[in-house]
Amino acid sequence: MEKQDSNGKFIVPIGPQHPALKEPGHFEFAVEGEIVTGAAVRLGYVHRGIEKGAEARNWTQNIYLLERVCGICSHIHATAYTLGVEKLANVVAPPRAQAIRTLVAELERIHSHLLWLGVAAHEGGFDTLFMFSWRDRETVMDLLEMITGNRVHYSTNILGGVKIDLDDEKITAIRKGLDFLEERTHHYLKVINTDETFLGRTRDVGTMSRQQAEELGAVGPTARASGVPRDLRVEAPYAGYHEFPVRLITATEGDLHARFVVRMNECLDCYRVIREILDRLPGGELATRVPRRIPEGETISRVEAPRGELVYFIKSTGGDKPDRIKVRTPSLCNWGTVTSVAVGHKLADMPMLLAGIDPCFSCNDRMVRVNRPDQSQTWSWENLRQYGIEYYR
Amino acid sequence: MKIGAMLGDILRSLFKKPATELYPFVKNPAPEDLRGALQYDPSKCTGCQLCIKDCPANAIELVTVDKVNKRFVMRYYPDRCVYCAQCVQNCRFKCLAMSDEQWELATTKREAFVVHYGKDEDVEFLLEKAANAGVEEPCIQE
Ligand code: SF4
Ligand code: SF4
Repeated sequence: MEKQDSNGKFIVPIGPQHPALKEPGHFEFAVEGEIVTGAAVRLGYVHRGIEKGAEARNWTQNIYLLERVCGICSHIHATAYTLGVEKLANVVAPPRAQAIRTLVAELERIHSHLLWLGVAAHEGGFDTLFMFSWRDRETVMDLLEMITGNRVHYSTNILGGVKIDLDDEKITAIRKGLDFLEERTHHYLKVINTDETFLGRTRDVGTMSRQQAEELGAVGPTARASGVPRDLRVEAPYAGYHEFPVRLITATEGDLHARFVVRMNECLDCYRVIREILDRLPGGELATRVPRRIPEGETISRVEAPRGELVYFIKSTGGDKPDRIKVRTPSLCNWGTVTSVAVGHKLADMPMLLAGIDPCFSCNDRMVRVNRPDQSQTWSWENLRQYGIEYYR
Repeated sequence: MKIGAMLGDILRSLFKKPATELYPFVKNPAPEDLRGALQYDPSKCTGCQLCIKDCPANAIELVTVDKVNKRFVMRYYPDRCVYCAQCVQNCRFKCLAMSDEQWELATTKREAFVVHYGKDEDVEFLLEKAANAGVEEPCIQE
């Protein structure tokens, strides 16, 4: 599995199958003995043509297509998209809908962070933490299933609002679940701060200074762990975050341990925000009407996904289908931090370093084809599908 | 600083029931709002096809048996369906709902993935017609 390149460097290839995480990606680490001297990433193994697919579906159908960009942060994709389309159509969802969107988004953040806690602990060889954190994550999954009707793809959003409502019974159940999770999160925070073997694997590993984080364009908890005050929910509040502000959570150390602490503290803040939403849930309508044809125009919609800033570019030509949708997921921004921080670390730290940015491989694979004016060509969805079938035959 | 910060959890869980569910031996009821298989009530349907328009998976078709007397049969493909409930949202006459009981939909038979909903005589009429090869089916699609 090793290859020797012409410069006499020893390169260890990892992936594309199971490079630490259960998603495909290819990494090449140049090593001298145990120490990594260079790193490179190759992505694109799970390109699915979602952006092109979006051009062939109407505005409503696209909610469900785009929700499937990611299986962990599905709601936030639909939210970014619906907020963008609503902006184009010049409608604002009613306050109750915005609050419910925010509530589901925060529950999703809890589930994502607890999932990551387990994965990262597993990469560090701490399987007890992995098992217990995933057991507790079931609590929030059950809550999401109870209020939305599905464990993974919540399908809460519709254009102009949401399709689910909360009643007293559900609110009580959410509160009960949150109490349990809060207690457990405090416990996990204590574990990651005190367990000596675990600290040995996380403290001063993969340290990234604030300047580095800013230069590399890191986003989300990865950036915040290096002290970059960057959180769209605070900087540019959307949906219900005007009403229910969140706290900006940062740390200064910038190492793996700081990323654990930031994410766990974010969970604690999620519990606080959700309780606040439940306390002051606005009444009224769940949705407003949005026309089938969206007025011509383009817009950028930005939201804070569990992994960082998620950007949608949406362009309409006035029809019932979008003309172009571009998705930029947060994982893509964070890859640079892995390759530059890896240098100087032991090869054995690489899985944890990779897991440390909470990467999502499938959701960041996009294809760009640059056409020169003389060889421009337009492919329909059907052409592209046929091409794919031929290609893999 | 200590070693084995989670030792307490491990010891305590020795005396607890397993956290996992004993499915399929014990089946816990699904939450009331679960989005399971689609259900269709033909008595209220007007044949407006709004449900079909926004289905992201082309999982439903409406077959008109008799337009004047509003006799329709809905053909539903549970394998294509992504269980998003957009059709339920679109129907203004509340004909559609998603079941919280029918969620064990995995099967090895293809036939189970084409479901006909409608009045019994209409479904029968349709199936008979389909069996009669070569006869054009009065099917409206998008
Ligand atoms: S639930 Fe969604 S995918 Fe299934 S039939 Fe209804 S609209 Fe189509
Ligand atoms: S939207 Fe409702 S009334 Fe209209 S065709 Fe569908 S089921 Fe029938």
